[in-house]
Amino acid sequence: MSSVPEFHPADDQLSLVGLEGHEPSSLWRDALDRLKANKLAVAGIIIICILFFVATFGPYLTPYDFLSQDLSERNQPPSSSHWLGTDDLGRDVFSRVIYGARTATIVALSVTGISVLIGVVVGAIAGYVGGRVDSAIVWLTDITMSIPSLLLAVVINISLKTPVTNWMDDMYLKTHNPIFRETIWADFVLVFGALALIMWPPYARLIRGQILSIRNENFVLAARALGLSNRRILLRYIIPNALGPVIVQASAGLGQAMVLESAFSFLGVGVRPPTPSWGNMIKDGLRVWRHYSYLLAAPAAVLGIVTVAFSFLGDGLNDALNPKGWR
Amino acid sequence: MGRYLISRFLKWIPSAVIVLLLVYALAFYGAGDPIKLIFLRAPGDVVWDPKQIEILRESVGLDRPFLIQFGDYLWHILHGNLGNSIITNRPVNDIIAAAAPVSLQIGLAATVLMAIGGIPLGVLAALNQNTWLDNIIVAFSLFIWAVPVYVAGPLLMVFLVLGLDVMQVPYGWDGLFSSKAIIPVLVLALNPLALVIRQTRSAVIEVLSKDYIRTAYAKGIPRRVVVFRHILRPVLTPVITTLGLIMITMINGAILVETVFGMPGLGRLTVSSIIDVDYPVILAITLIGTFLVMASNLLVDLVNPILDPRAVRAQSKEGS
Repeated sequence: MSSVPEFHPADDQLSLVGLEGHEPSSLWRDALDRLKANKLAVAGIIIICILFFVATFGPYLTPYDFLSQDLSERNQPPSSSHWLGTDDLGRDVFSRVIYGARTATIVALSVTGISVLIGVVVGAIAGYVGGRVDSAIVWLTDITMSIPSLLLAVVINISLKTPVTNWMDDMYLKTHNPIFRETIWADFVLVFGALALIMWPPYARLIRGQILSIRNENFVLAARALGLSNRRILLRYIIPNALGPVIVQASAGLGQAMVLESAFSFLGVGVRPPTPSWGNMIKDGLRVWRHYSYLLAAPAAVLGIVTVAFSFLGDGLNDALNPKGWR
Repeated sequence: MGRYLISRFLKWIPSAVIVLLLVYALAFYGAGDPIKLIFLRAPGDVVWDPKQIEILRESVGLDRPFLIQFGDYLWHILHGNLGNSIITNRPVNDIIAAAAPVSLQIGLAATVLMAIGGIPLGVLAALNQNTWLDNIIVAFSLFIWAVPVYVAGPLLMVFLVLGLDVMQVPYGWDGLFSSKAIIPVLVLALNPLALVIRQTRSAVIEVLSKDYIRTAYAKGIPRRVVVFRHILRPVLTPVITTLGLIMITMINGAILVETVFGMPGLGRLTVSSIIDVDYPVILAITLIGTFLVMASNLLVDLVNPILDPRAVRAQSKEGS
């Protein structure tokens, strides 16, 4: 070693010294390759892609409107004109299941988005500020996580219902804006709020734990010793490494939010009919299942398939993004 | 050891009070005035005099500030009195006492099923790591973890009653040992079963890489003895640690299972009180649910030092 190579701490090529001719393989590329090798996860991704496609374009593709009632065609078994039959009001079950995908997707994406946002902010505050703020936040997440989640969500939902409905009425009287007459938005907002409030604590804990552990890793220490700026360390080293577990948790969270949304509708507190949700379709199907079992089986089977797909994807992502779990 | 238990318990009390405060505040500010709720529900067109309402409110102490009412509520709870239902005016204690045995029985039955199914499956998967058997068990656990109770229940019902015709309609409650209880208990055990399988599997995999297991094999101890004597013992700790999560899953499941199968337990009581907005009952059930979860967490903390004395030493070092 007679000549020491010139040192450019801020140079992007730094990591390639001595590796010329060797294709760099990024963290994400490796993860993607590992994910592709997992058959269950790939199956999950395909199902979820179909779900998102159907949720976006489904209502334009279905032969019937989810609300249109045809009383001459009540309680029809599955046939070529009604693939999954019709319900007691003569509505096409296939169209309703497809519209239910939209309800489930809207709720899952919004709830996961909101709870990740709350979790990241709260968790980052806990991790950076430390001390008393940290202990208080940890204590708060502990408490929230020790209330049975479905129970807490339902209590929040029914407690906020009266104030929100009153507020909407007031706003309508003041502004005469028709938006405030749409009770469906109030339902959605209540479901978002209740679910996000019970789902943020795991994200907050995760982010806090990640920040605390990565902050002291050798590669961060090395980057600091090289004189890299704080912003660069945060963006290039801490965030990419902290992101993996959050993605895993969020993919599981999407499935969980869908299950909880349907559970809400099933219990009769969530999105109200006539807006189709798989949960309230199962609830209606349960009353007549001995004579019209397809009314129960269709939404139940679809919901089951979708949640299993999210579970497979979450597990695949966990294996792919968590290098410590390499076997 | 004694100091450890006491400090755990002391930490637990303020958490329980905070949870109650949270739910009480939700009820207090969200539900609106209980007196009005009662009047609104009265049959027929009751003309209510605001003055009368005010007098009534004063007589039951609802005009006092929030914190004083909350303190009052806490005081009653400490004396074992959960108040009266707004709807039926029966004591909440009686309502809960009537419903609890049903939930308790199916919960315990599901717990037994979960333990005798989950631990062997998890061990089996870990001992055959990365073989087809392991893959099937892991996929199975992912599957039963994801399928919601109100999907598995109805589908099983349609399959067994309509498809195979081997069972009468499972609706209602005839005691734990009737055929009606089979599907509900099975369905209730599914989600926690997945948790137990996964915990056991990863715990066994971790133990398998330990030196003392290699030593045991090197000494020529038969595989069966190694598994039962050296591998299974430390595996119990991580499984028991998830008891709190298992409890939450069970409670969530019970609410839905009892609704699907029309069982008169705490879960269905929850749903009916929610639909009626019967706050005293909702508060009591939330309190019981939270108490159960916190008690399981406390139990974990208490049992852990017996199973793994190293954990306590590490923690008390941290504390001092």
